[in-house]
Amino acid sequence: MTSNIQQFTLSNGLKVMLKEIHTAPLVSHWVWYGIGSRNELPGKTGLSHWVEHMQFKGTQRFSGRRMDQAIAKTGGYWNAFTGEDWTTYFETLPSSALDLAMEIEAERMRGSRFLAEEVETERTVIISEREGNENEPRFRLAEAVQAAAFQQHPYRNEVIGFKTDLLAITREDLYSHYQNYYAPSNALLCLAGDFETQKVLRKIAKRYGVLPTSEVKKDTPQPEYAAPPFQEIEMFGPGEASYIQVAYRCPQGNSEDFFALTILDSLLAGPSSLNMFGSGGIGNRTSRLYLALVDKGLAASVSGGLNANIDPGTYNLNLTCNPAVKPAQLLKKLDQQIEKLRAAPAPKKEIRQAQKQAKALFAYGSDNITNQAFWMGYSSSFADYNWFLNYVEKLESVSPEAVMEAARKYLDPQKRVIGYYLPQNGSNHG
Amino acid sequence: MAKFTATHQNPVSENMPGKNNILRTELNNGAQLLSFRNPSSPAVVIRGYLNCGAIAESTEKLGTASLTASMLMAGTEKQTFKALNASIESIGASLYFGAGALQTTFAGQCLREDLPKLLATLVEVVDSPTFPQAQFERYKMQTLTMLAIQAQDSFDQADLAFNHLFYREHPYAHPQSGTFQTIQGLTRDDLVEFHQRFYGPKGMAIAIVGGIQPGEALQICHDSIGTWARPKQNALPELPAFEPPQQAQREHIPLEDKSQTDLMVGTLAPETMSRDYYACSIGNNILGQFGMMGRLGNSVREKAGLAYSIQSDLGGGIGPMPWLIAAGVNPDNLEKALRLIRKELERFLNQPVTTTELNNSKTQMVGRIPLSLENNSGIANALLSIERYGLSLDYFSELPSILESISSEEILAAARRYWDLNELVITSSGRAY
Repeated sequence: MTSNIQQFTLSNGLKVMLKEIHTAPLVSHWVWYGIGSRNELPGKTGLSHWVEHMQFKGTQRFSGRRMDQAIAKTGGYWNAFTGEDWTTYFETLPSSALDLAMEIEAERMRGSRFLAEEVETERTVIISEREGNENEPRFRLAEAVQAAAFQQHPYRNEVIGFKTDLLAITREDLYSHYQNYYAPSNALLCLAGDFETQKVLRKIAKRYGVLPTSEVKKDTPQPEYAAPPFQEIEMFGPGEASYIQVAYRCPQGNSEDFFALTILDSLLAGPSSLNMFGSGGIGNRTSRLYLALVDKGLAASVSGGLNANIDPGTYNLNLTCNPAVKPAQLLKKLDQQIEKLRAAPAPKKEIRQAQKQAKALFAYGSDNITNQAFWMGYSSSFADYNWFLNYVEKLESVSPEAVMEAARKYLDPQKRVIGYYLPQNGSNHG
Repeated sequence: MAKFTATHQNPVSENMPGKNNILRTELNNGAQLLSFRNPSSPAVVIRGYLNCGAIAESTEKLGTASLTASMLMAGTEKQTFKALNASIESIGASLYFGAGALQTTFAGQCLREDLPKLLATLVEVVDSPTFPQAQFERYKMQTLTMLAIQAQDSFDQADLAFNHLFYREHPYAHPQSGTFQTIQGLTRDDLVEFHQRFYGPKGMAIAIVGGIQPGEALQICHDSIGTWARPKQNALPELPAFEPPQQAQREHIPLEDKSQTDLMVGTLAPETMSRDYYACSIGNNILGQFGMMGRLGNSVREKAGLAYSIQSDLGGGIGPMPWLIAAGVNPDNLEKALRLIRKELERFLNQPVTTTELNNSKTQMVGRIPLSLENNSGIANALLSIERYGLSLDYFSELPSILESISSEEILAAARRYWDLNELVITSSGRAY
């Protein structure tokens, strides 16, 4: 991916990043707001996500259905995501329809209605979304583990919010949240694709430049750098399958340690793709945990993952157990592999393989305009775009010693949360 | 409500895949190659299929095709499991296999300089897998674990029940992953025999798309895939005729401890790529896809707030495919959601779609073409569809005029040929209701 991006700030505080890519007659248009579950207070969990839903319900000028149909008619698609640190909205569509995306996003930055009856309809839709998640044992386990991994920080909460909060949140809560945080000075517009920068800048000024500025004050939590004290959680459910999730503290995205932990994750559980929109992955059959656990018949699958966040988060290892194997036995083998990484530097050849895999995954994402626009905004949410541009180089500079140090610093067996999801008939305790 | 000031017309891509830039040729051994160059990409994607699948299994050996495909990367005559996978993963490449009813599919990706290595590995694993006994036991355990997970998944249970009720005696009724009983009973010899009988280049197709000239891709294929010979490759059994159920069917698979119930409502879809298929594609888009999940989304999600997700899908593939509406709802709202779905189906079958709906859907489906062909994997999938369904290389340029020729009356007539409200197949899974 190239660095040919242009950055601007409008007089109302809206930041703009533009990247011309002329490989296909398409554009991807994103607006990122610096508000997410990280800024939510107890009793109001899920507010950011619910506001995101309400943004599809209509504005003073356009009904939700009209906006939806206008995007659909172009053949393009639109969607939104709420994360811990941000809420983002995007459209990927033919470049000839870029004006439409701008008109909609500029309009709903300040002009959404939040009608009371639509708030009530959406309450049941969101509860339905949560109930769909609850059907998955892994969601329930992850929710419990995440809650235990932080003392107070809102990263302990699922973005969708607690059901009790979803039942209690009012229209006024939602609209206040919207009015407080949906402002040009708390937003970043990212555009990648087939356009001309100077022409598009004039359009941006026309659509977004006229929006009034306002001061945004956020509840910013105290980061929890310290790892959680050792905890074990047991959950039970029907069926035969059992799962283990192990959560360690993970450094914040803009930390140098983040890159060493990324290589460490690749060695342990296989390379993870950076790309939000497909582009494929690489298998993990030569990773240490696959060979020690899956290839030895102890587990059916293993995966690892860390997110780049503003504050320190969690590094998670997830195992699907062989029903005939006691989870404690599995955990012992997992710990043996982690201990090896803490005891001595990994071979250079193994580190080089992880680096080549990261480079390949980076290249695979470059054929997708939506990914390119996504990365401008995502990397800016916790660092800046240089983080992304230097990503491969940073990983290539990680040494075996740095990986060992990261293992010693973050993968302490006494500072982690271990969650077990076990068959409720007790057949697989241990 | 105001109108949008922004206007737009769908663009015409100069680099649309077509007969001028797709290479389509038959290799010496009968395998078909389709290749397209995406000059902006440093990577190459491969997608393809072999002419073997679960239809060749006996009912006592369900899951054989799937397990055989999964185990291709477990070791060959030349390489152990570890060496084989290291050779692919160490270069940042990927190679996966899976089996459907009629085809075993493969998908891979690599940096452009590594394509010879990826294709050489592909040939090695389809030609001389060894299915090592120890690995076989592990893969069986993984499959049994996956089946245990599936047994507690409300969507999977509703889907399996639908296939069982809908297809009945037809081979498509069988779960392609097998069952606890059949997987437990499989032996390594079953996989060896299945591979020996049905794997081979006859009926194989491969699409290669990315930063490589089609001529260069062809040369690499000549030296790899083109050398694969299996003179004793057996033909698959004929797909039997299918008659859809003639009366309403309903089944609920109880799964306690679930917050949500998954619901499926379906009927037979038209033959893929037939004239009816295009008409029903537009109709399906209006029914359950356009914008926020079409008419169904508007009724069940937006107005009634009953579901986070509801949509209809027109199945595509070889042989009888279902036209399926799927939703996830609170168990207490199951019957209410069903009533709304029936109401929308009644409207769909009683009056033509409106001109606005028709025009909007056509515009969307035409506008979606360049998006679906944006990247290597999208183009590779499109090339395989061309091969699978015998379409023209200019299919994507011709598609807009096919869609444009369809009227709302044709959609109504076509939809009535497939939906009968007295013959719906309805399945659900979740808490008892």
